Amino acid sequence: MRFLGFLLRRIVGIAAVMIGVSVITFAISHVIPADPAVAALGDHATDEQIAAFRSEYRLDRPLVEQYVTYAEGILHGDLGRSIRTRRAVIDDLVDSFPATLELSFTALLVSMLVGVPAGVWSAIYRGRPPDFVVRLLALAGGSIPVFWLGLIVIGLGYYQLGWFPGGGRIDAFVAPPPPRTGLYVIDSILAGDLNALRSSLLHLVLPALTLGYFSTAVITRMTRSSMLEVLGQDYMRTARAKGLRERVIVLRHALRNALIPTVTIIGLTFGSLLSGAVLTETIFSWPGLGRYATASAVSLDFPAVLGVTLLAAIVYPLANLVVDLAYYWLDPRIQRG
Amino acid sequence: MSYRRAPILFVIALLIAAACSQPPPASATGSPTPQPTAGGAASTLVYYADVSDLISLDPAVAYEFSGILVVHNAYDTVVKFEGADLANIKAGLATSWDTKDAGATWDITFKLKSGVKFASGNPLTADDVVYSLQRVIKLNKSPAFLFTDIAGIKADAIKATDASTVVVSLPKTASAQGFLSILTFTVGGIVDSKEVKTHETAGDFGSGWLLDHSAGSGPYGVDHWTKNSEVLLKANANYGGTKPALSGVLVKHVPESTNQQFALEKGDADVARNLSPQQIAALQGKTGIATTSGNSLLLVYLGMNATVKPLNDVNVREALRTAIDYDGIIKDLLKGNAKKVQGIVPIGLSGANESAPFQADVTKAKALLAQAGQTAVTLDFLVPTGQAPGGVAFSDLAAKLQSDWAKIGVTVNIKQTTTADLLTTYRAQKGQLVMIYWGPDFPDPDANVGPFTDYAAKSIAFRNGWDDKTIAAKGRDAALITDAAKRTTAYKDITEYVLHNGPYAVLYQPTELFGLRSNVKGFAWNPMGWLDFASITK
Repeated sequence: MRFLGFLLRRIVGIAAVMIGVSVITFAISHVIPADPAVAALGDHATDEQIAAFRSEYRLDRPLVEQYVTYAEGILHGDLGRSIRTRRAVIDDLVDSFPATLELSFTALLVSMLVGVPAGVWSAIYRGRPPDFVVRLLALAGGSIPVFWLGLIVIGLGYYQLGWFPGGGRIDAFVAPPPPRTGLYVIDSILAGDLNALRSSLLHLVLPALTLGYFSTAVITRMTRSSMLEVLGQDYMRTARAKGLRERVIVLRHALRNALIPTVTIIGLTFGSLLSGAVLTETIFSWPGLGRYATASAVSLDFPAVLGVTLLAAIVYPLANLVVDLAYYWLDPRIQRG
Repeated sequence: MSYRRAPILFVIALLIAAACSQPPPASATGSPTPQPTAGGAASTLVYYADVSDLISLDPAVAYEFSGILVVHNAYDTVVKFEGADLANIKAGLATSWDTKDAGATWDITFKLKSGVKFASGNPLTADDVVYSLQRVIKLNKSPAFLFTDIAGIKADAIKATDASTVVVSLPKTASAQGFLSILTFTVGGIVDSKEVKTHETAGDFGSGWLLDHSAGSGPYGVDHWTKNSEVLLKANANYGGTKPALSGVLVKHVPESTNQQFALEKGDADVARNLSPQQIAALQGKTGIATTSGNSLLLVYLGMNATVKPLNDVNVREALRTAIDYDGIIKDLLKGNAKKVQGIVPIGLSGANESAPFQADVTKAKALLAQAGQTAVTLDFLVPTGQAPGGVAFSDLAAKLQSDWAKIGVTVNIKQTTTADLLTTYRAQKGQLVMIYWGPDFPDPDANVGPFTDYAAKSIAFRNGWDDKTIAAKGRDAALITDAAKRTTAYKDITEYVLHNGPYAVLYQPTELFGLRSNVKGFAWNPMGWLDFASITK
């Protein structure tokens, strides 16, 4: 019951965030000096065409009225029509979001699988060579710009070594799996199409490594510092004193406690993965939300920008919700309240 | 680590191993969707390009470079230009055409070729032509203004008099020559009316379906378009002309030019569309790579608002034009990737004026300023963000102009902003100096001379506050001349006048650069922004 209340409060919170975000984004996108009609119709448009466009997109109506119409649309599942692609924004999002989700999840998976053990290892070997190596790599991960890293990764993994494809989600001469989830890896497994699975996994490697490096670095550093803190606690000494094996001490007693701040970071990182995807997607020709968002913003496509922002406004709190649920599992004190 | 998890790990490991092993034979994949290409990579042209502008593959809707490229190869037009020539109109689906003075209108009669079939196998008749052209007007999408505004026609102006004859009645105010040029463009693509009508929903003239399908008689047809990823074209088995050598064309969306270069060098791409002049230079001499260029009809120019003092003085404008180092811009900034063009009609269109009298003459420019009674001039200079056509940053161009003008005592404050923002100011006649580019809407000099000279058209002349009624009238008259030689002479006179009196400094006409695999032959870029895939071999 307590859990249900907690969940309910969170859902109400997400709704409030969405209303706030929609109002702010709507206001910003409508008060900027450049005219979306000019942006959409370009240099050659006549004044009549621009007027017709403004009336089609209700840009000639008072701002409040425009917002009310827009909000009513959202409640009916209608996010409006994109100016740039001339399709329903919801269709564009459905097309591009799964690609970003697949990339971000893979990057997150890489970060957790690499970052947590690296952090633990580094903490155990504090002040010794393995620690220095891990700290150096983590420092680099936090400072290298994604755009540069992407070009290096593609230059090495594709151009020099030829081990991985240079971009896209799947080989041009392999049919994509029939869409069920929109995630190619999952869809390929569901369809039992090993050829598509192989191609989509290979295509994921370079962009996921590029996108995941920053978050790996953050997770490593967080795990390391919280492990160091936990390892210095009294109960660690007790555990050692009663003769537990080092392995048990580290994995059972230290890591579980050290993971709580790490989980927070993982939740926050997921948000940054979505925004980092903008550059990674461009370098790796990844047909995802990041690229859609950039293209929309550049062409002042406000219905699309609003759609992306609202989607992000759902994803961020959802990621935080998952983090809270993970706390619930990790820290019994929260369960007892 | 619990042993309970071992089986799960084992299954995951097995799955990854299976996925990374050699692919099984096609029959065993169990994939319900067909393989995307019949002939595979060997008989498919792989074309890497940034096609983020792709909106629709419907000839009545497409008006963006990527859409035009695809539509051009899937649809035939009634008349056409061949190769890179944009001066001589040739027979397309029509074997002949004839313009008659019908009193209130010009009537153009087209006689259609017999025996032409669409990709569906349906025969192409006059009804298809009427349906297709009327469809453009009724749908009223981006390119429709070419019919309704430029040619000034309504849907009922297009009629079929028998199964192989179509008559279009143009108002006397429109240029018959200009209309024929418009018909060569993708907006004049003829759709299979029987096929399209079966896909009509809610009076959309099948536009929802044609968004990502094709129903034409061109050498290729659209196999699929995966949004943001690729368009695959497959050879049309019912094509009446010379059969294309390659069975497919894959247009792959790759926005990053470094990635395009890598793929070209690795042999994964046959054509790379968006390489910078620096990348092209780096590729030259590499084994297996060839580079080529094509013409474009764009003009990068500077607008000088003649309502702003001292730009209202023709001598000040002439001084600014005279001070610019055009050769330096082309040679150093653009690495030779442009033509020195200073007239308002680009080279490639009839009526282009090749005279380029200006080149960094500081003494003359200073004298012109003195003649205008000006010694120190300060102006705002509006510049777009991003790359200018030809592959140089607009900001670099602006800095170069700023330093050229500093030499004659003219100070400019560079204000860089997005194109949309810049256009909002420019359109409202609120700019002082504005740098931007222009491309003609259809391959005819009228598409440039009209906007650049006619204040009443509320286009470029209006934005620069240049209201010269004499030259505007001359421009309108020239468009209506039917004799080709007389028309060309009239346009030369107009462009010569604008060169010294207009509020513009045309900076250059960019060249398009392409990286190709050296086995790709028959690649000929048309300045209108397309290429005949059917003539390419590899």
